[in-house]
Amino acid sequence: MSQNHRYVGRSLPRLDGPAKVTGRARYAGDLSLPGMLHGKLLRSPVPHARIVNIDVSRAAALPGVKAVITGRDTPGIKYGNWRLMPETQDETPLAIDKVRFIGDEVAAVAALDLDTAEEAVRLIRVEYEELPAVFDVAAALADGAPLVHDEGKLTSNVSLDRKIDYGDLDAAFAAADYVREDRFTLPPVSHAYLEPCACLAEADLEGRITIWTSTQTPYIVQCLLASTLGLRENDVRVVKPFVGGGFGGKMELRPWEFCAAFLARKTGRPVRFALTREEELATGRRRHPMRIRSKVAFRKDGTLLGKEFEVYLDGGAYNSMGPTATFLCGNFGAMLYRYPAYRYRGYHVYTNNPPAGAMRGFGAPQALFAAESQMNIAAAELGIDPIELRLKNAMVEGDEIPGVATVSSCGFVESLEQVAAMTGWKEKKGKLPPGQGIGVGCYSFISGGVFNWFNTQYEFAAVEVEAYDDGTLHLKTMASDIGQGCDTVLRQILAEETGVSIERIRLTAGDTGATPKADLGTWGSRVTLMAGNAVINAVRSIKDQLAGVIAARFDLNVIHEVAFADDRVFAKARPDRGLSFGEAVRMATRANRGRALVGRAGYTPRNKGLVTPAFSFGAQVAEVRVDVETGVVRVEKVTTAHDCGTVVNPMAVEGQLEGSIHMGLGYALCEELKMEGGRTLTSSLLDYKIAAAEDMPPSESICVPTFEAEGPFGAKEAGEGLASPTAPAIADAVHDATGFRAFDLPITPEKILRGMGRLDE
Amino acid sequence: MALPRFEYLSPGTLDEACALLAEHGADARPMAGGTDLLLRMGRTGRAPSFVVGLRRVPGLADVRFDREHGLSIGALASLATVAAHPDVIRHYPALAQAAAATATVQIRNMGTVAGNLCNASPSADTAPPLLAHGAEVLLHRREGERRLSLSRFFRGPGRNALEPGELLREIHLPPPGERTGSDYQRISQRSQVDIAAASVAARVALDEEGICRSARLALGAVAPTPLLVDEAAALLEGRPITDEQVAAAAALAVRAARPISDVRASAAWRKKVIGVLAARALRAAVEKALAQ
Ligand SMILES: Cc1cc2nc3c(=O)[nH]c(=O)nc-3n(C[C@H](O)[C@H](O)[C@H](O)COP(=O)(O)OP(=O)(O)OC[C@H]3O[C@@H](n4cnc5c(N)ncnc54)[C@H](O)[C@@H]3O)c2cc1C
Repeated sequence: MSQNHRYVGRSLPRLDGPAKVTGRARYAGDLSLPGMLHGKLLRSPVPHARIVNIDVSRAAALPGVKAVITGRDTPGIKYGNWRLMPETQDETPLAIDKVRFIGDEVAAVAALDLDTAEEAVRLIRVEYEELPAVFDVAAALADGAPLVHDEGKLTSNVSLDRKIDYGDLDAAFAAADYVREDRFTLPPVSHAYLEPCACLAEADLEGRITIWTSTQTPYIVQCLLASTLGLRENDVRVVKPFVGGGFGGKMELRPWEFCAAFLARKTGRPVRFALTREEELATGRRRHPMRIRSKVAFRKDGTLLGKEFEVYLDGGAYNSMGPTATFLCGNFGAMLYRYPAYRYRGYHVYTNNPPAGAMRGFGAPQALFAAESQMNIAAAELGIDPIELRLKNAMVEGDEIPGVATVSSCGFVESLEQVAAMTGWKEKKGKLPPGQGIGVGCYSFISGGVFNWFNTQYEFAAVEVEAYDDGTLHLKTMASDIGQGCDTVLRQILAEETGVSIERIRLTAGDTGATPKADLGTWGSRVTLMAGNAVINAVRSIKDQLAGVIAARFDLNVIHEVAFADDRVFAKARPDRGLSFGEAVRMATRANRGRALVGRAGYTPRNKGLVTPAFSFGAQVAEVRVDVETGVVRVEKVTTAHDCGTVVNPMAVEGQLEGSIHMGLGYALCEELKMEGGRTLTSSLLDYKIAAAEDMPPSESICVPTFEAEGPFGAKEAGEGLASPTAPAIADAVHDATGFRAFDLPITPEKILRGMGRLDE
Repeated sequence: MALPRFEYLSPGTLDEACALLAEHGADARPMAGGTDLLLRMGRTGRAPSFVVGLRRVPGLADVRFDREHGLSIGALASLATVAAHPDVIRHYPALAQAAAATATVQIRNMGTVAGNLCNASPSADTAPPLLAHGAEVLLHRREGERRLSLSRFFRGPGRNALEPGELLREIHLPPPGERTGSDYQRISQRSQVDIAAASVAARVALDEEGICRSARLALGAVAPTPLLVDEAAALLEGRPITDEQVAAAAALAVRAARPISDVRASAAWRKKVIGVLAARALRAAVEKALAQ
């Protein structure tokens, strides 16, 4: 790893920061166009019903209403992100003849103003014939359970399953000195991104659509919007404005995007939809609630022999990103440690709850809460320090996960050692006074997926760079900054690679009409590695040409290396033999007889197994103080040592870490979408408890230095993996403080008191 | 969420306001900060035909204190004003704590203590300290004014003793007295910006020997209305407040509580923590009294 980097490794403040903190950044809901109409959705008030009749006449007659549509007015084409398996595509933008959850979209209105649109929605009369409904996995799998989707080939509510088998598990259990089986329950939680979903669509005179939308995946929205409208991919342009967070909740085509585009074509006027916070919380995507059974086998010296991992995901009414979560849960169940034998069974189950989807960690926070909690339980019962037990079984570079992947760079052992040293673990674990506790949790995560579930024909990431003779560059990419910082990081990588100052790099991003094909979007912690590699690949041809210019101009011997730094191109051994970057570009352009200097390339992981090109690793320790009279937990400190490869921007990584701790803290202690009969009871941020700023503990962290050969400058992911360790670490610390071990989240004060036997029922 | 249509009336005097309320009866609601009223209208989609704003009525935002008469809080005094008022902090600390713990900065700037009481939520944060401090409310109508002990003001969730055409003009607290301390304890899942799942205010007055001259214990969020635990007063008064006395009073608080299970917490946990909070509030109140 070279330490001479000018941009990579620097804590560069985010280039979008000033616009955001001064309020000048415009989000989808801030946009408007002349003649714009306001859209509003009518949602189902019942969890499961056949639509008998919809009467829109009163709504349509309301002055100011320009259009009212129901599912019957639309092409009714099904969609879903798993284009590779069309049978999983189970959603239509508006319900056709059945609704499947409270909040299912039934009709849409476009009107001159929002008040009128809301009033019109109230005037739509829908006659429902209610059907029996199922609200949890057990009910959905019971004999004779009503089918949430009865129109296809499915004969049960299991929409999809996944099996992983390797090693001889039965032999492992037979040979084990210690076998432990536990059950864990994970609640639905919300992304609670700051910006509720919004979009603005416009149709041109030929009916082509431009849509500005709050999305993580412009390309996916483009393709699916085109197919559901019956248009061609090239008829739809998706533009991502500033986005206020997504965390997995904005990576699919959503009904309001379809309705905005459809209504724009129907009315000839631009149409904007903006969801309310209540719609987001009550009907929006959420992290999968899961039931997990995990059985693990050890030798008494702590050697892991094998594991059986069974997961039931409550997917809600549609598949959404459930298939990916079902697959990844299986992988995360056996990450971090060497499991000679492993059996995974994952079942994605339809219920009449609002659909769950992708959410930061994509199955890992649930799987790792179970796996890491069980590791802590096993350590206690085996009489081995939990960090020692982990060190004994930790994955290292070169380890193979049979049939799945080979671990390339891996700083897990160092992470464990460092976090123990930073916290004084040995002096504290099991030795703190009552009410105080310390606990550990670890994670591994993917740096983007290699599995092409979207079935794209394009490269996974693509970049175009154009060089100007004024010494500037224009970087064009579909990669989408949704707040995680890739607009800054990709420019850092390009600046490092070309020696062009970062302020001389113009960026156009997240616009399917102006950026090269394609980019699968912001999810799976893929952007730094994949789009970062695409940047390096794209600029290679430009650099070659500029090096040629310098060699020709200065008559350099062919063995000379040409360097790019400080906005210059020059012979490395003779820095005086060089030109400014702009002059070199001008000469290259002239040499090319006027052809602009453009580089274009992509990146697609190949020969990287089934999961990811690179895994991140890390260990986290939480220290808590529990009020043993009330059960209230205060997290006093969180310490993290993690391996994200080369750190491209330390400040950005720290931001990801702190955001992850905030989410992990909420997942551990207070966040839960409380449900009753398919209805989400916690539909305001007053009742849905994300932690307040004051609840945030101080955080200390280090990045363990590793170099990932597959990553740009050695980098890998830092965005999602960190969402996992906090909950098991806090749960372990609560156990250390109180003796109460949590098997389900969130760990409320009430559960702690009950667990301590201090609550009279 | 769009508000349903209503007409906003803006009277310049209290009598005018009362006249408007009397004239329109159930069709009109008074509004102070609007942080409960407007949100409820948006949520339910139902609004009174007339909203009678009190902002233009002069003098209603005053908070006045003197040692002889005690504390008066006008109907428009905001939660923020009361939380930061030096005399409230000094002489009625439980009230200052409660007002400061309510909602968010923005809501405290808009919302009023009077609105908090009139809204009559069982979890209203300012109710327990006001009950513990023996507050009275001055209820005004054109025909005249009546005084009511706050403990008789609450009638049930969302229900209070106001008659049609009547407004709460002022909240009045008796002078603090010597060697008096009060304290407010609340619990919620999140440390801030959260409705209390259970709360307790305690006030104690001691004599020279440390004997309890008077004591009040009031509970929030554990019954259909905020609640005074009269038995606790009887138990504590006339003797020194020992650990055993505190424990016994806390047990009475637990007995008096009739909590429900809801989205915020279960009845069992509320019953458990109300005793813990009662003991903590009492001990802290005694400490503050001794420090005077
Ligand atoms: C995000 C949020 C968080 C909150 N958190 C808390 C919390 O932690 N604790 C808590 O206790 N409350 C909380 N609240 C509730 C609310 O803010 C308080 O109850 C506030 O004190 C109400 O005062 P107001 O002036 O806004 O009342 P308004 O909304 O103006 O009025 C409330 C009710 O009282 C009536 N009214 C008002 N003034 C008078 C009067 N002078 N005479 C007769 N009737 C009158 C109105 O007609 C209405 O019915 C929260 C509210 C929000 C929106």
